[in-house]
Amino acid sequence: MAELTYREAVAAAIAQEMRRDENVVFLGEDIGAAGGVFKTTVGLLDEFGPLRVRDTPISEQAILGAAMGAAMTGLRPIAEIMFSDFLAVCWDIVANQMAKARYMTDGQVSLPLVVRTANGGGSRFGAQHSQSVENWAMTIPGIKVVAPSTPADVKGLFAAAVRDDNPVLFFEQKSLYASKGEVPEGDHVEELGKAKILREGDDLTIVALALMVPRALEAAERLEKSDGISATVIDLRSLVPLDTQTILAEVAKTGRMVTVEENPRLCGWGAEISSIVAEEMFYELDGPIVRITTPHIPLASADHLEDMMIPSVQRIYDEIRRAFS
Amino acid sequence: MAKKPGNKSFEVDLANDDIGEEVRINLFRLQLECRHVEQRANDLFLQNLIKGTSHLGLGQEAIAAGFAGAMESDDYTFCTYRGHNHTLARGASMTGILGELMGRECGLLGGKGGSMHLTSVEHGAMGSYAIIGAHLPIAVGAAWSSQYRGSSQVTVCFFGDGTTNIGAFHEALNMAKIWELPVVFVCENNLYMEYTPIGNVTAVENPAADRASAYGLESIIVDGNDADEVYRVAKKAITKAREGKGPSLIEAKTYRHSGHSRADPGDYRPDGELESWLERDPVKSYRQRLIDFGFPKEEVDLLEQEVLNRVDEATETAKKSSPPSEEAIVKDVWADGGSSWRN
Amino acid sequence: MNVIMPQLGETVEEGTVSIWHKKVGDIVVSGENLFDVSTDKVEMEIPASTSGELLEILVLEGETVAVGVTLAIIDDGSKANEVSVDISTKSEENFSNIDNQSTNRSKIAKDKIGKRDSLGNPLSPVVRRLLTDNNISPDEMSGSGSGGRITRGDVLAYLNNNVANSNNGQKVVPFDSIRKLTAEHMKRSKSTSPHVLQAIEVDYFSVNRARSVVGEVWKAQHGFSLTYLPFIAKAFCQVIKEFPRINAHVLDESLLLFDKVNLGIAVDLNFQGLVVPVIKNADDKSVAELAKEIWSLSEKARNKKLLPDEMTGGTYTISNSGAFGSLITAPVINQPQVAILSTDGVKKKPVVLETDMGESIAIRPVGVLAQSFDHRAIDGAYSAAFLKRIKDYLQDEEWNVSLD
Repeated sequence: MAELTYREAVAAAIAQEMRRDENVVFLGEDIGAAGGVFKTTVGLLDEFGPLRVRDTPISEQAILGAAMGAAMTGLRPIAEIMFSDFLAVCWDIVANQMAKARYMTDGQVSLPLVVRTANGGGSRFGAQHSQSVENWAMTIPGIKVVAPSTPADVKGLFAAAVRDDNPVLFFEQKSLYASKGEVPEGDHVEELGKAKILREGDDLTIVALALMVPRALEAAERLEKSDGISATVIDLRSLVPLDTQTILAEVAKTGRMVTVEENPRLCGWGAEISSIVAEEMFYELDGPIVRITTPHIPLASADHLEDMMIPSVQRIYDEIRRAFS
Repeated sequence: MAKKPGNKSFEVDLANDDIGEEVRINLFRLQLECRHVEQRANDLFLQNLIKGTSHLGLGQEAIAAGFAGAMESDDYTFCTYRGHNHTLARGASMTGILGELMGRECGLLGGKGGSMHLTSVEHGAMGSYAIIGAHLPIAVGAAWSSQYRGSSQVTVCFFGDGTTNIGAFHEALNMAKIWELPVVFVCENNLYMEYTPIGNVTAVENPAADRASAYGLESIIVDGNDADEVYRVAKKAITKAREGKGPSLIEAKTYRHSGHSRADPGDYRPDGELESWLERDPVKSYRQRLIDFGFPKEEVDLLEQEVLNRVDEATETAKKSSPPSEEAIVKDVWADGGSSWRN
Repeated sequence: MNVIMPQLGETVEEGTVSIWHKKVGDIVVSGENLFDVSTDKVEMEIPASTSGELLEILVLEGETVAVGVTLAIIDDGSKANEVSVDISTKSEENFSNIDNQSTNRSKIAKDKIGKRDSLGNPLSPVVRRLLTDNNISPDEMSGSGSGGRITRGDVLAYLNNNVANSNNGQKVVPFDSIRKLTAEHMKRSKSTSPHVLQAIEVDYFSVNRARSVVGEVWKAQHGFSLTYLPFIAKAFCQVIKEFPRINAHVLDESLLLFDKVNLGIAVDLNFQGLVVPVIKNADDKSVAELAKEIWSLSEKARNKKLLPDEMTGGTYTISNSGAFGSLITAPVINQPQVAILSTDGVKKKPVVLETDMGESIAIRPVGVLAQSFDHRAIDGAYSAAFLKRIKDYLQDEEWNVSLD
């Protein structure tokens, strides 16, 4: 075990996979010589050289298009899109091309690739550099969607994503880059589509993702201490494939569910989970399903405003207390 | 097909020509196959056996044939939704193509992709793409892959004049050049961006060739209706790429005989334009050239009849094939053959 | 060949014949313009796609018809346009969950309990379900939720207390979801189908011989034993072709026959419930393949790893009741199938053998096969003939099991 920051875990994960398989290649803007604008890819150019770690021009469509073409022809590329907001610039390649090529060609085309990107807010970058867009990816059939909350999961889930033969969108939360955690040494691989139960409780089940996970955990602590409300916290980790069985089983135990999402309100990932639970666990529910989300408004940049918009520990705590009163 | 001894009517000694008899027969056969399959597709559409839309490449056969003739079997091609010719020329079966257009189980894509997405990975035909420009960066990726693997495979990427004005075109060319990738970009300028004359919407006269210098590339224009000329230019650019000397951008001038898609009668074309291009029909001209070069007319007719017979056979086979079973719906979203997003 | 109104344009549904360029009796050449069509979007010249005499014009200039309607007939020596390819109607059963990919839709609980208790407090779905299942009234307990609402915890606590405090030796164990689903299914099946039980006794001597030949090696190679079940399944698949009305589903007033056999094998989940995974296209499989697939599906079932695909589409079910040596079982039909087969215990018994040299007694492994069939669909003679054929097949076949 080693203690690594979330950003160090990114570099460690990429290095682990590139050492293991020479078909793994990596491209993106400023990822090589500069070590990444978030310092997530430091040391990779030195270790693997400029043929495997390629700095690209500012050309998002070309970056993802090239990743797709390389994946179709025998390589296992990793492509970086610097800010997840920029996925909008090359969304055609994700939604129309990568997601559909295998299906439309009756299985002829294979796309073992990973697109990793810095997602979410909390860093005061303003509305166009702070969005949480993993729910966009969830709506396109044919794309796997992963969002780790800890350094250990960064390494393990990234390894799983690279080894998966399908297109995977890997959402790193930029405000978590400095967070620390214990990371297993050596070959560490997790499983896509498996949620993790981080805390067990009797009164409600909180389902969270990425940045919302540590906040949900803290709110759960507070709820137990001051209000005697005992909560299970599930870190979803993947939106597609979705670990529905874990969610359903845990909701059956407690009878209540709250989702904590960084997405803006409409069609955040929690809406889908709520729908599944309402349909399949209706007769286990002791009260309405509650969603805690960012409002359906572009993110303001001033720190005080941003902190009020993205669900905070205090807001999570308050909204759950209110749901239980 | 041997030269008959004592035949006096050829003008060029084929054995000494840079192209040669064998290649020419191949180029002619490829053009005939393209022409007759496309015409059959047209007929089937009018019989309501092909639904939806399709984009025919009638009139543009020489480009598909000329390049296919110049490639190795493990080279990669990418083309647009007007891609029946290109896919056929790489070796995909006629039954597969007609079957796919009719939405049958025997279709190249099992009836799941349709006319605009014809793909045959085993033949190096890496897809037909329906979003303008999307496949140019993807082609760049395939070229990057062969460069990385040191395999000497070349990627040829076909697109229309309209593509030269979309963002992905520029991103792809720039990236191909800075990395000196083995990719040949081929713009088939058929004078119309869907329903609008390309000249009305492009800042330069030759939509591809005049932009080549912006990407450090040579300006190359070729008569897209002359399969020999296309073949020569193709050979040169493909060889250059294979030798690691980087990408090329070629503009092939041509014309499409039908409308943009099946719904389009092409009324926006000025009177007489279609007729004058029909006189330069690539298949007709090439046929005449072969005869001028001394190929006996009977042999040429025989070749054409053989192609027609194969088209007929493929049509009958495809017609008898059943529509895909419902089970096909849930197959092949993921690499494991399934479509499950949850447990 | 019929000339039809083409579909010009993806959203166009009809067209008007504006001009005929040929008249009846003319010779038409493939490729020359035959007629013009106008729609609300385009005007187009349509060439003939075949050559021959124009025999008949059915739609005149100026008439508007729907796409696909025959406009004219050309005599080109071909038959009329072929009838569109036959698509066998498959049951939509396989695809009823195509969108939510789940078999878990909450069943509507029949409850006599209203939405509110007598104090006017709302009763949540789980509270209503628990009250209904346990036949108790909300008035029997007090609520700890806000405003005195009865919570799930309140009902569970009440149930626990009442069980702990009772002193007449009884205990209420509510049905879990699998039990409830099973109960529902069994009740419905029995009330839908008039069940008739019919049994036959089988001498498994030949089967046993084949089993003992490969048994040790098989077990070593595959990690599980080769039982009677794959042989019975194979016999079933071979014989069922002669009795198509048994490989079928019963609809309202018809039978839906299937070409292929999708064989369900009932698996007991450690006394916690039953599940029926389905072997698709079982009739294409050998004894060895059936054995392997039965094993892998059973394992998946026990580990709750079965996919929805693997639990649907069955055309017949075999219920392997014999593991505990039962004599005979009357299984409940797996709706909407026609019948279900129980394979009961195999036991050594003395049997009378008729040989050329007279009758003698031998010790043979003997077991009953018992079929419950739906008497709406078939009759006793048909079922009996079928069972006889299976018995004969099992007894007479030269069984040969490959080991890979």
